[in-house]
Order: sequence, then C-alpha cells, then structure tokens
Amino acid sequence: MTTPPPPLRLPLRVGRQRRWQVLPIIEIVVLAIAVLLPFVLKDYLTIYATRVLILCLFALSFDLVWGYAGIMSFGQAVFFGTAGYGVALIARDLGVTSILLVLPAGLLIGFTFALLLGGFLLLGRHPSSVIFVSLGTLTGSYAADRVARGWYYLGGQNGIPSIPPMSLGSYDITEGPVYYYLTLGILLAVYLLCRFLVRSQFGLALAGLRENEQRIAFFGYQVQRLKAIIFSFAGAVAGLAGSLYAFHEGFVWPNMLGVVISTQVVLYVLFGGSGTLIGAVIGTVAIEAVSFWLSNSYQDIWPIILGVLLLLVILFRPAGLVSLILSERERVGNFGRLPEEGDRGSS
Amino acid sequence: MDNLFVALFEILSFGAIVVLVVLGLGIIASMMGIFNFAQGEFVLLGAYVTYIVHSSGLPVWIGMAAAPFVVGALGFVLERSIVRRFYAAPIVAMLGTYALGLIIREIVRGLIGGLYLSVPEPLGGSVNIGTMHFSSWRLVIILITALVMIGSYLLLARTAFGLRIRASLENPALARASGISTNAIYGATFAFGAALAGLAGALIVPVFSLFADLGLRFLIQGFVAVMVGGVGSFAGPVAGAGVIGTLAAALPWIIPPVIADVLVFVLAIIFIKFRPQGLISGKGV
Repeated sequence: MTTPPPPLRLPLRVGRQRRWQVLPIIEIVVLAIAVLLPFVLKDYLTIYATRVLILCLFALSFDLVWGYAGIMSFGQAVFFGTAGYGVALIARDLGVTSILLVLPAGLLIGFTFALLLGGFLLLGRHPSSVIFVSLGTLTGSYAADRVARGWYYLGGQNGIPSIPPMSLGSYDITEGPVYYYLTLGILLAVYLLCRFLVRSQFGLALAGLRENEQRIAFFGYQVQRLKAIIFSFAGAVAGLAGSLYAFHEGFVWPNMLGVVISTQVVLYVLFGGSGTLIGAVIGTVAIEAVSFWLSNSYQDIWPIILGVLLLLVILFRPAGLVSLILSERERVGNFGRLPEEGDRGSS
Repeated sequence: MDNLFVALFEILSFGAIVVLVVLGLGIIASMMGIFNFAQGEFVLLGAYVTYIVHSSGLPVWIGMAAAPFVVGALGFVLERSIVRRFYAAPIVAMLGTYALGLIIREIVRGLIGGLYLSVPEPLGGSVNIGTMHFSSWRLVIILITALVMIGSYLLLARTAFGLRIRASLENPALARASGISTNAIYGATFAFGAALAGLAGALIVPVFSLFADLGLRFLIQGFVAVMVGGVGSFAGPVAGAGVIGTLAAALPWIIPPVIADVLVFVLAIIFIKFRPQGLISGKGV
C-alpha cells in the first residue's frame, strides 16, 4: 500500500503559504457527528454505534503498525482477543469490574502479548522479512483461536458468557448512551495521543521505516527496536479496544482472537486509507454502516461486494477513501520540530 | 504392529495431501516471488468443479480431470488482469490476492450455502493386507501426488519451458533481453500453480467434503510449509510440506489434537525465525 516515497523534508515555506487544511476539518466534522449521534439514533442503533466506535479504536491500532511503521500485522486480533478474555476472566473469577482496574488491565494484557509476539518476530540477529512478520502474526492469530477453542477454562467453543457490566463505584456502566460517550472519550484521547505520536520526530522515523527501511537503518536508528516499540504500543491500544468490546457485548468467544477479525481490521484500514489516523476511523464506520444497512436484504452478497471494493481500492486508490478528499501532501503531513531548528514544523 | 502401519499410512496420506496443496503455492512463491493468498480458494474451486460435474450426473473422475484445466484457465485470466499489477510490491500482492480469494470464497459460499456437500470417491473400497485395511482412494492420492511431484520437477528442470521459467525468475531483465517473454512466462507459471491447486482440491474433496472454508484450512499450513522449506527452489516447499504434513498428522497420535495443531505452527515459526532461508536454501530447481 505504500505510495512512491514522498520526499521526507520539513516544509520550508510555512510562514508564507497558509494552505487551507482539510484534515482538521474532516476530523472536527467526524467528531461533531459522533458527539451528536446518540441524540438522533434509536437506542439499539446507539448500541451498534458503540460497537463501531470500539472497532475504530481497534482499527487505529492496526493503522499504527501498518500505516505508519509498515509492519504487516495479520494478527492484531490476538491482542484484542487476549485482552477481552483477560478482563472477562478477571470479572468472572475475581469479581473485579471497576473500570479503573479492568481497562488498565486490558491495556496491559494487550501490551504484554504484543511485546512478546512482536519481540520474538521483530527483534533478533536476523532482521525479519515482511513476509515472515505477516505470516508469523497470522499464525499467532490462528493458534490463539485454536487454543481458546480447545481450552475448557476459557469456555471452549462457547467462550465466556454473561460477563457482569463494568462499574464505577456502585454505578454499572451498561450499554447505551453512557457507554457510547465513554468509548467516544477514550477513542478521542487515544486518537489525540496517536496524532501527537505520529507527527513527532518518532513518527517521522516510523514513516521513514515504512518508506525505506534500509535508509533509516543507515541513519543509525535501531530499526528493529523502533518497530517493537510501535508494535507494543499498538498492542496496548488493541487491548484497550478488546476489553471495552468484551464488557460491551457481555461475552467473549474464540472468534475475537481469530483470523477473521484480524483480516477484518485490515479491510477497515485499507478501505479508509492507511497512513492517516482518520482514515482508519472513516473506513471502519463506512464498512460497518454499509454492512448494517445491507444486513437485512443482501446479507449473502455483502462479503462479495466487500471483496470487490477492497480489490478496487488496492488497485486504483492505494491510499484509501480518504485520499479522495485529502491531498497527498497533507496526508503525509509535517512532523514535529527538530530541537535546534526553531519553529519550522507545525501540527 | 498393525496399528503402527495404519498410523503410518494415515500420516503418509495426509502428508501427501499437504504436499499436493503446497506444490502450487510453492511454485508460485518460489518462481514468482509472490505469496498467493487466493491459493486456498483455487483448491476450493477445484473441489467445487468436481462437485458440479458430479451433481450433473457425470462420473466423478471427469470432474477431477476437468478441475485443473478450469482452475488453471481462471488463474491465467486473473494473472493477466489483476495479479500482474502486484509484482512490484509483495505485501500488496498478499492483500490483493487475499481480496481475490475473499471474492471467490464468498461466491462459492453463496452458491452452495453453508452446507457440507459430500462427493463420493471414484474408487471406493480398500486394499487389504493381512488384517489391515488401507483406503484405496488415499492410496491413489499418494500415487498421484508422487506422479505430480515428479512431473513438475521434470517440467521445471528438464524442459525448455522450465528453463525459461527459471531464467525469468533469476534475472528477468536478462531473460527479456534474450527474447523470453517474461510476461507470458509469469502468466503460464501462475496458471500452472493454480491448476495444481485445482487438482489438489479435486482429489481431496471426497476425503474432506465440500464446504466454503475448505481452502482456508490449508492456506496457513501451506504458507508455513513454504517458509519452513525455503522460498526460491522447487525442492524447498516440497520438503517443507513433507515435514509440516508429517508433523501435523503424526503429533495428534501422541498428544491432544488441539495442542498438536498449535505446536506444529509454533515450532515452524520458531524454526523460520532462526533459519530464515528454510530447510533448503538456494535458488533454482
């Protein structure tokens, strides 16, 4: 999905030329719609919208690894699912449902698994090939799914049903507008954090990795370590999404870990536009909305349409839906200021 | 003692199936450098063609003979129209062929519904040696796998066409300068790989029955086998498929199946991590 390498330079003419920025407008419009949505939607649709928001959070995590660092992870669901299972077990066996404990726990579980898997696949004496990493993550996802299906303690095929709702003090956070805004708040916070991260000098190094790994290595960056860091960070985000998902649905099941969800998130991001954070969000919303809309009458052909759409996007719009309205220059963006170079870069 | 032989036969026949499935995948990966995620769906299509022919009242073996040609032709068309755009970027090729596979799989799912359709073995019964029974169809699979393996090897190693394929693999620019149309070669290689998958699907459908996720089951196994064996040669993927197939069939006799299934993959990934070039490194045949 990488476009021909754009020049990685800081804009030198910032002061003179104030171009109309499209990206912040899109972001604000999306946020405004998201804030107002529960007022116009029926209750059951709000619940559906909450699920979509959680999936957006999950899509962000994949966008970080693939869209920014160029690591093809076909196993992002491992972190999503293990965190979901983890918090479900905490709630079931320890009776802990406080949001202040379970969400950090989910985050930590996602982070730990990503650190282990990413550390194994990415670090080491031989630099790993892209193919190896993608197959390794895919296999990880398949293996996790199989283990969950066969492990009685985890409920086997049926997963863990009827997880108690998350709580804050004595208040139960059940699905509905409250859960919706909670998720939106978390999504917004994570989004802003990621936005800051990918526009920093660290983000510049990541983008360099994506475009030309060898060059970044020759500059003296610890390429493998950079990759492991972003992979673990993305794992933590996926873990957060997974724990939110588990409590929202009220149950976890082996599919959450599996290849299907792992590839689903790839579709979201590619469709919306990898390498832009808002692209991941838009792709998720677009696919899930159309899927919901078609689910009554065209359930059977929807996956076929999805495949065709994906193929068309890959062939003709490698930068995704977002690239229809976002210029290449803005999509690549500027990066945080260099320490010694005054106030050149912005955003 | 008898049990041991039965177990060995089971392991051998499953190994043969994996080799058969992986052969096409390995040839495309080794000779063209792309990992074809639609390969599992080519297997599925081969099985589906066999089923169609069978349900229209013709003998099953006609379907099995037709499957490789149908799937090969489709592979050729897909390569010409879509896959050839992906050669520059292997990752894009993975995603693109994944999308292709998704389309094929869902169309087949739409056609057959969520059902498991059975196709009878063209050669029923079993071969009895002493008190042991060996399914004759599985024997046929082992035999055909051996023949296909030898045939593919001879094609690649001993014929002018194989020489052109290898030339296009090793140095496309030089091959083009020597008057070989690398475009046509890539098309033919892809079609050949697809045809092998179609044949595999046709042969295994009596054993596994036809369902939409038939190909998916073999896809990951196939890729892992190719990586374990080593990309770039003919022998590599075959050796890898042999190892993975044998392990996958043998381990469940010793430890619980779920653990065995996962263990095979974990071992394989660890192996690839520490020996990225695979069992057999080097290019060529």
